[in-house]
Amino acid sequence: MNPAIDTRDLSFAYKDRGVLHAVSLSVEKGEMVGILGPNGSGKTTLLRVLSAVLDAQGEIKLNGRNIATYGRRELSKLFAVVAQESHVNFPYTVAEIVLMGRASYHSPFALEGKKDLAVARASMELTDCLSLSDRYLHELSGGEKQRVMIARALAQEPEILLLDEPSAFLDLKHQVQVFELLRRLNRERVLTIVGALHDLNLAALFFSRLVMLREGKIYRDGSPREVLTEKTIDEVYGIRVRVEPDPSGEKPQLFICPSS
Amino acid sequence: MNRSQRILIVHCFVGSLSLLCGLNVVAQAATPAPRRIVSLAPSVTETIFALGFGNRLVGVTTYCDYPAEALKLPKIGGFMSPSLEAIVAKRPDVVIGVSSATDPVKAREMERLGLKVTLISLASLRDILNSIKSVARLLGSPDAGEKLVHKITKQFDEVKTRVAPAPRRSTLLAVGLQPLVAVGGKNFIDELITLAGGENIAGNAAQPWLNLPDEYVVAKAPQVIIEAGMGSERERSAKYWGDLKSIPAVKEQRVYAYPSDKILRPGPRVGEGLEEIARLVHPECFAASKRESNKGSGCEGSRP
Amino acid sequence: MKVLDRRRMILVNGVLLALLALSVVGCALLGPVRLDLSQALQDIFSANPDAEILFRARLPRILLGVAIGGGMAACGVVLQALLGNPLACPQMLGVSGGASLGGILGLILFPHWLLPIAGGLLGEISWVPLAAFLGALLSMMLVYRFSLFHGRLHPYHLLLSGVIFNSFVAAVIMFLNSIVDFYQAQGLLFWLMGSLSTRAYLTVAFIWAYIIVGFLWLWAKGLSLNLITLGEEAAMQLGVETVALQRQIFVASSLMIGAMVSVSGMIGFVGLMIPHVVRLIVGSDHRLLLPASFLAGGIFLCWADTLARILLAPAELPVGIITAFFGGPFFLFLLYREGSRKLAL
Repeated sequence: MNPAIDTRDLSFAYKDRGVLHAVSLSVEKGEMVGILGPNGSGKTTLLRVLSAVLDAQGEIKLNGRNIATYGRRELSKLFAVVAQESHVNFPYTVAEIVLMGRASYHSPFALEGKKDLAVARASMELTDCLSLSDRYLHELSGGEKQRVMIARALAQEPEILLLDEPSAFLDLKHQVQVFELLRRLNRERVLTIVGALHDLNLAALFFSRLVMLREGKIYRDGSPREVLTEKTIDEVYGIRVRVEPDPSGEKPQLFICPSS
Repeated sequence: MNRSQRILIVHCFVGSLSLLCGLNVVAQAATPAPRRIVSLAPSVTETIFALGFGNRLVGVTTYCDYPAEALKLPKIGGFMSPSLEAIVAKRPDVVIGVSSATDPVKAREMERLGLKVTLISLASLRDILNSIKSVARLLGSPDAGEKLVHKITKQFDEVKTRVAPAPRRSTLLAVGLQPLVAVGGKNFIDELITLAGGENIAGNAAQPWLNLPDEYVVAKAPQVIIEAGMGSERERSAKYWGDLKSIPAVKEQRVYAYPSDKILRPGPRVGEGLEEIARLVHPECFAASKRESNKGSGCEGSRP
Repeated sequence: MKVLDRRRMILVNGVLLALLALSVVGCALLGPVRLDLSQALQDIFSANPDAEILFRARLPRILLGVAIGGGMAACGVVLQALLGNPLACPQMLGVSGGASLGGILGLILFPHWLLPIAGGLLGEISWVPLAAFLGALLSMMLVYRFSLFHGRLHPYHLLLSGVIFNSFVAAVIMFLNSIVDFYQAQGLLFWLMGSLSTRAYLTVAFIWAYIIVGFLWLWAKGLSLNLITLGEEAAMQLGVETVALQRQIFVASSLMIGAMVSVSGMIGFVGLMIPHVVRLIVGSDHRLLLPASFLAGGIFLCWADTLARILLAPAELPVGIITAFFGGPFFLFLLYREGSRKLAL
């Protein structure tokens, strides 16, 4: 069985600044992987390379096929991306935005059909934004916008979901909601999920596998307990923490130890 | 102060006043006529030559092409954009420009640099004739001005007499096709058209020059169309107007391409320009073989 | 959940099409001179002044106005999507500047040269609009070349190159304006302010064919245009080949704008204002926005030209002045009424 995502010696440089160095990562179908690392470690770049927005050196295979052999329309049915921020300069309603996720499923000359509308509606129900469907995107709060973006990604009916810091602008309640939704989707639909995360504690609670990046290279790859150690945190983030298990006893949680 | 001292002061006061006035008069009479003139417009150049002072011109524009001697004179720039430096370098006694064309900012600049600048108005025929007189006076020879104006007025009268018996012909005088730029009202050419026995179809317009939409020309149905702009050419005119056959000028083949500076320049040749227009508007009044006596006014007879 | 469906497409476009037809008829009947319609329709082919006013003087320019108004509006919509900027307009590409410059040079250097079409069978056209179109092509290639960044047409660079190129061209035009004579300067104004004055049905037909083809091609890209307004990366991730699309849109709209400016000079404001007004009414889905803007642009320019003929009769104003003069305040009024709610600015 081919892994959903398989990269080998992936390298990328912005002009002369190297961002990713020989990243070899393999994600099986149905896995839920969190990519961690401080700012500048290459998390976002890795996602952009995986979603074929950037061209990198090295090999990427999706479902066993080299990514270069896919057309963009095909790729958009294979994976969907939820970006950190969305800058939409034109007034679209939530329904219009979510329906754009169906672009690859109908002819560009035709309007959306019944199935497209049904899928869009279901996606909005899942992300709890159906009630916002006729509001304009730019009128929504950061959290509402994020839910709409996830709905759009789900409307693409992807096999793989890539998320870039999905909880960056959400309040605590919505952060937990988003992660619980992701876990549900992962279990019910066998959706492969790769997310770049900055909140280490939430990452530990919801993701079964964590990949820690440091200066563009994979530093650690494994279960939360293996990756989130005091030594690793110190070496990668440069801060001292204490690691204790959570109330269930299974997942590690970090306690920050300020120096003063 | 005693009485005699007061009388002395009053006498001195009155005396110096009269002395000053006297000096002033003497001073005016003693101001020499300008010997170095810069012209900022072709019509001004023509006027100066026509008054006999062509030899005093030290600078003209690149558009000054009449008379032929003007071509040899040093150039100080274009019509709308004369070169300040070139003008100053010529050390003119006076710079003569046209009030509607010369940039007032440039004029002020020249005055600030110590030059004497005179702007004449050439908006109407009366302005043109008056400006000839004022330039003549400025150059110190008012008689030459009177003579020239008299000559032009005579040319006007001759034409007026010739076309008097003929009925007015509605006329369109254009200087460009695509866009169609026509002579409007408040334009000396409009007056020429009237004097020539024509009626300018755009004469009621407020602007001296205007873009005319084709439908207006068709509606006004001019009997004569004259294209006087540089580059006017018969074949092109014919092609342009050819499909508007309802226009009398087109039907009767009175569309003339007649590029002429005499018509377009508000200068001393304006009388000749009038005749040119009249010959086009009323060719029958200028028939070569003028039948004498029994034929009455001379505007009847077959059109040439 | 309100979405774009066939009913809405047909309704909006149908209403606009009807308004367009009415406008064409209305504008044909209006003008600085009175038209006797019955007289005009009686003897169409004889030397009948009313017929000539209606069919030879007014109708060609009205039809031209519809085509150019529609084309400018459509290009405005597409460019706003391409540049991701609701304030983009056809002038920004630099193509119109190049076309104006080409036309002006043609007007100064060879105003009377003619090119026979089909060996003279279909008449002749002046070299001036051809020179303008050549200017448009050259400027398109230049701006394209300067905007290419790592093989991609980056919207920011496109905008910058276009604006810089326009400034340069404006300077050259001003220079030329200062050295031509008084009468040539009048002709220059035509290029700078625009005019729909034409009697040649051949020209009108040619422009119509050209613009319809261009418009249909752009309309077919409607869905991709929606996606590209979400951002380049988002569009890529939703299945759009953005690099190719940007190039295609740039070339198509440049060619259209070049042709339009070659025939009628630079008529501004239509491409900026109409997309916004239409967007306020029908929304941002380009599959409806494009045809609606095309029709609305045609209606607008039709009336603008009529006003240009009537306002200072008998003089004809450059239509570009009308579009700016009335377009601006109307847009402000609409903005005030709707508030910033729908504009996301």
